[in-house]
Amino acid sequence: METEETTSDQLGRSTALRLQQLKGQLFEVALVAATLVGILAVLALFVQISSDAFQPETASPAWFLVYLGTLVGPTAAFTLYARRRPAVRETNAKAFAAVFGGLLLALVTYAVVDSLSPYDVFTYAFFASLPPALVLAYDRTTEDRTYTGPAIPASIIVGVAVAALLYDFVRGPIGVAAEWILYFGLVTVPAALLVWTLTASRRGRRSGALAGGIVAAGGLAVAVASIVTGANASLLVVLYSAFIVPTGYVLWRSVRTDPEGRVGVAGPFVLLGGTLLGAAVVDQFGIRSPDSFLTPNLLLQSWDGLTASNAGVYPQIVGSIIIVGFMAVLAFPVGIGAAIYLEEYAPDTGLRGRLATILEVNISNLAGVPSVVYGLLGLALFRRTLGFGTGIVVTASGTLGLLILPIVIVSTQEALRSVPDDLRQGSYGMGASRWQTLREVVLPEAIPGTLTGTILALARAIGETAPLVIIAIATTTYSPPSGLFSSGTALPLQIFAASANAKPEFRHGVVPAAAVVLLILMLLMNATAIVIRNKYGREN
Amino acid sequence: MSESDTSPKIQTTIETGDEGRGEAPLNARDTVIEARNLDVYYGEEQAINDVSMEINEHDVTALIGPSGCGKSTFLRCINRMNDMIDVCRVEGDIEFDGKNVYDDDVDPVALRRKIGIVFQKPNPFPKSIRENVAYGLKIQGFDGDIDARVEESLKRAALWDEVKDQLGSSGLDLSGGQQQRLCIARAIAPDPEVILMDEPTSALDPVAASKIEDLIDDLAEEYTVIIVTHNMQQAARISDRTAVFLTGGELVEYDNTAKIFEDPEEQRVEDYITGKFG
Repeated sequence: METEETTSDQLGRSTALRLQQLKGQLFEVALVAATLVGILAVLALFVQISSDAFQPETASPAWFLVYLGTLVGPTAAFTLYARRRPAVRETNAKAFAAVFGGLLLALVTYAVVDSLSPYDVFTYAFFASLPPALVLAYDRTTEDRTYTGPAIPASIIVGVAVAALLYDFVRGPIGVAAEWILYFGLVTVPAALLVWTLTASRRGRRSGALAGGIVAAGGLAVAVASIVTGANASLLVVLYSAFIVPTGYVLWRSVRTDPEGRVGVAGPFVLLGGTLLGAAVVDQFGIRSPDSFLTPNLLLQSWDGLTASNAGVYPQIVGSIIIVGFMAVLAFPVGIGAAIYLEEYAPDTGLRGRLATILEVNISNLAGVPSVVYGLLGLALFRRTLGFGTGIVVTASGTLGLLILPIVIVSTQEALRSVPDDLRQGSYGMGASRWQTLREVVLPEAIPGTLTGTILALARAIGETAPLVIIAIATTTYSPPSGLFSSGTALPLQIFAASANAKPEFRHGVVPAAAVVLLILMLLMNATAIVIRNKYGREN
Repeated sequence: MSESDTSPKIQTTIETGDEGRGEAPLNARDTVIEARNLDVYYGEEQAINDVSMEINEHDVTALIGPSGCGKSTFLRCINRMNDMIDVCRVEGDIEFDGKNVYDDDVDPVALRRKIGIVFQKPNPFPKSIRENVAYGLKIQGFDGDIDARVEESLKRAALWDEVKDQLGSSGLDLSGGQQQRLCIARAIAPDPEVILMDEPTSALDPVAASKIEDLIDDLAEEYTVIIVTHNMQQAARISDRTAVFLTGGELVEYDNTAKIFEDPEEQRVEDYITGKFG
C-alpha cells in the first residue's frame, strides 16, 4: 500500500506540476503587462494631445449633457441594436464607407483641383483620358485584341505628352469656360459614366443610359441653382457628383435589395444628425462650449503666426495631400514593378541571380535608413543634379518617394510570395506564358496585400518631417501649391515650426490641434487600407 | 459540399481494369511519346539515368517507384515543366509526335497546350468554376462557344451534375475530390492530346480517389494518359502499361501492367511490388 501509488495519486497534481503551471501563468501575466504598457503609453499620448486641442475643461457640464443626449446616446443605442444583426451591421459599414468616403473624396478633389487650377487639371485630364477612350472604342470594333492591353498605358503617356506640348494653344480656349464647367467635366462626367456602366451591367443598356443621364442632368441642375442663388457652383457640383451621387446610389441599392439590413443605412445619419442637433441646441440655449483649437478656422484658413484663433493650416493640409499624392504616382509603379521583377522574373542562379540577391538584401537595409539621410539624397539628386527649384512639390514628392520605395517593394514582395506556387504551376501547366500567369492568377491574388502595404507607406510618408527640412521646404506658406513646380509646405513641417512659437496658446493649442488633424489624415489612410483588405479577404 | 462524395448513387466499386487493359502487345498502338537516353540532373545530382521508353497513344501508362526515383521528374520533362527550375538540366531526347520537345524551336508554352498536366494537390484558381475551366481557352485565344466547351469539359470530368447550378461560385468552395475533377476539367478543356497526372489521388479520400480512377479510364478513350502513382493497386487497376523506376532514376522494367504485377523479369521489381522494399 505504501509502495504502490494509486491511479488517482498518479493523476493528481504534484508540486512539480503546480510549479510549472505557476511559471506558465507568470509568463502570461508578463506578456499581458508588456502589451498594456505599449497600448497605455499610446493612449496617454492621444488623451494628452486631444485634451490640449479640444480644451474640454472649459466647457460647461450642460454641453456634455447635450451631446450625451443627442450624439453619444443614440449612437450607442444604434450600435447595440446593430451588434446582434449581421445584415444591419454590414449595411451600416457600407453606408459609413459611402457617406464619409464620398464626403472626403469630394472635399479632397475640390481642394486639390482648386489649388492646382481647374483649367490645368482639366487640360491634362482631358488629354490623358481621350486616347485610352479611343483605344477602347477601337477595341470594340475589331477582333484582334492582342495590342489593346499595352496600348492603354502607352496612349495615356502620349496624351499627357501632347497636353504638355499643346498647353499654350489649348489653355486659351479652355480658359474661356466657367470654372464649374471644368469641375463638371472632371467629376460629374466620370460619376455619370460609372453609374451608367454599373446600372447597365445589372439592368440592361437602356436603364443604364437613363441613370447616367439623370446623374449628368442633376449636375447641371445643381450648377444652375447655385449660380442663381450665388453659391459656389464648383464646390456644389463636386459635392453633388462625388458625395451625393455615390451615397445615394449605395443607400438606394441597400434599401431596395436588402430588406433585412436596410435599417443599417441610418448609421451615419445618426452620427451626423446627432452632431448637428447638438450644435443647434448648444447654440439656442447659449451653452458654453469648450474653447477648442480644432475649429473650422484651423481647417479652412491660412496661417497666422500672431493670433492663435486665426491660425489655419488649409494650405498645409492641401500641400501634404498633393505632395503625398504625386509621390504615390512616382513611387508605386516603380516599387511594384521592382517587386514583381525580383519575385517573379529574377533567376535564382547565375550572375543575374546573384545580382538580384544583392539587390534584395540591400532593399531591406534601405527600409531602415534614417529619413534625414533620404533628405540629403533628395537634395543632392533633385536640387543639385536635376536642377529643380528649392522647396518645390516635385522635389518633396521625389524625396519621399525614394523614402517609401523600399517599403513598397518589400510589402509587395511579401504579397507576391504569399500566392501559393501551386497556382503558378497550374497556370503554366495550362500553357500560359509568364505574363499571362502573372496577370490572370498571381496579381489578382496579391492585390490586397500590395494595397495594404502601399497605403501604409503613404501613411508613413505623410508624417515625414526631417527630409522635408533638409530639402528646404518652406515651413509656412500662405496658399496651397499652385502646381507641381511651385513651392508648398506640409502639415508636419508647420507643426514643427509652430512648436517654437513664442506664444503658449500656439505651443499648447494650435500645435496639438494640428497634430490631431495629421493623425486623422493618417488614420483615414490606414482605415482605407483595412477596408480594402477586408473587402478582398471576404471575396476570396 | 462533401455530401455528394458519399451519395449512394455513385459507383464506388473498384474494378480490376477492363478486359484487355494491360494485356495487349507493347507495340499494338502508335507511339506518341518517346524518350531516348534521357538524363536529368538537378545541379550535380542525377535524377534520371539513361531512360528510354515509348508511350502509346490512348494508353494509360503508370509510372511507379519509391520516393525520389525520378518518376515525377520524368513526367514533368514531357511538357517541360522542369524549365521553371533553374538548376535542372536535361540531356537526351523526348519526342512528342516525332518532334524533340527540347529542340530550340519548340516553345514550351505551345507544348503545354498539347500536353496538359494535373497535379498532386488540387489547385483550382481562386476564380469561379466557369472561369477555372475556361482559363486555358481564354489564354489561348479560343474564339468559339466558351460556355458549351465548359459544359462539355465538366461533363467529361464527371463534375457537371454536381456543379451545374453553381458555375459562378468559387472553385475553392468545392470538396477536395470535386476540386481535383475541376482541375481535370480545366486540363481537358483546351483539348490537349496527352494528359500528365502527378499522383492525382494521393491527397484525396478513397471514395473521391476511386471516382478519379473511373474518370481516368474514360479519359483514355480520347487522350493519352500518363500517371505517376505511389499506389500500386491503383496502377494495377487503371493502367495498360507500367514503368517501374527505382532509386537513382533508373527505368528498371517497362511492360504490360499484367506482366509487371504477375511475373516481373527483375527480382528488384518483384521485391518492390510485393512490398519487400521501398
